[in-house]
Amino acid sequence: MNKIRSRNLIAISASLFLTGCTLIARYDQVAYEHATSAKVDTLALISKATASYDDHEKEVEALVRQLDKAYEYDRGRQLNKLTVAQWDILRDPNRDLVGGFLKMWKAKGSLSATFIAEKKKQIADAFDQIIQLESGKPKPAKAKE
Amino acid sequence: MANIDIGSILKSVEDQSKALAEKLFKQYTHRAVSDVRDFLERSKDNLKRWLEDLARGDIGNDEFESLVKGQADVAEMRALKQAGLAAVQIDTFINGVLDIVVSAAFAAIP
Repeated sequence: MNKIRSRNLIAISASLFLTGCTLIARYDQVAYEHATSAKVDTLALISKATASYDDHEKEVEALVRQLDKAYEYDRGRQLNKLTVAQWDILRDPNRDLVGGFLKMWKAKGSLSATFIAEKKKQIADAFDQIIQLESGKPKPAKAKE
Repeated sequence: MANIDIGSILKSVEDQSKALAEKLFKQYTHRAVSDVRDFLERSKDNLKRWLEDLARGDIGNDEFESLVKGQADVAEMRALKQAGLAAVQIDTFINGVLDIVVSAAFAAIP
């Protein structure tokens, strides 16, 4: 009887301790799909920046909305500050990734093919940082799926 | 009251936790260092290529500046990723130690 009670106490204490010791969000398939899908759509749109911004303004607006949705989804998750900080850098118009690129395209009207090719590689790398962090997060236990 | 050898439990927990930490953090450190080294190599190559593009007039000053600043932005995003992956390792370590403690405690109950 005592042995069973001791085991139960240990198990309960362990569970309580465990719930308080998580530092980062669990992997989320929807967040992963948002990031991979946004990467594909962003790179496709960037390729069009040799042409006039005005001709693609609607597509730019749609992409910004898509990025905003991915950001808001991640912002709503617990223990997810690092991923949110990554999205902040990527989207910020005053920095030099997607937000800065779109701002520059709008300001200049069109951009050089060489610059676009280089920027595409850089922005792909930036998206990969979000995707790799998400896929590196602990997978939820099967019982919780 | 049954006799439980607390000293032996603690020693076992310490030894197993040490082995777990060495395994987890060694693997993580190796991957993180390799990731940073790879990034630095690519940044060096990129900078060289952008300077050539600038000299040829294929990109403007503002485009060159955007590429250099963008590389710093990617470096920051990479550091955030590494911080996140380190947190995952710490979570794994804490959970592993907990398993070790629980197993050692169960094993000690006569």
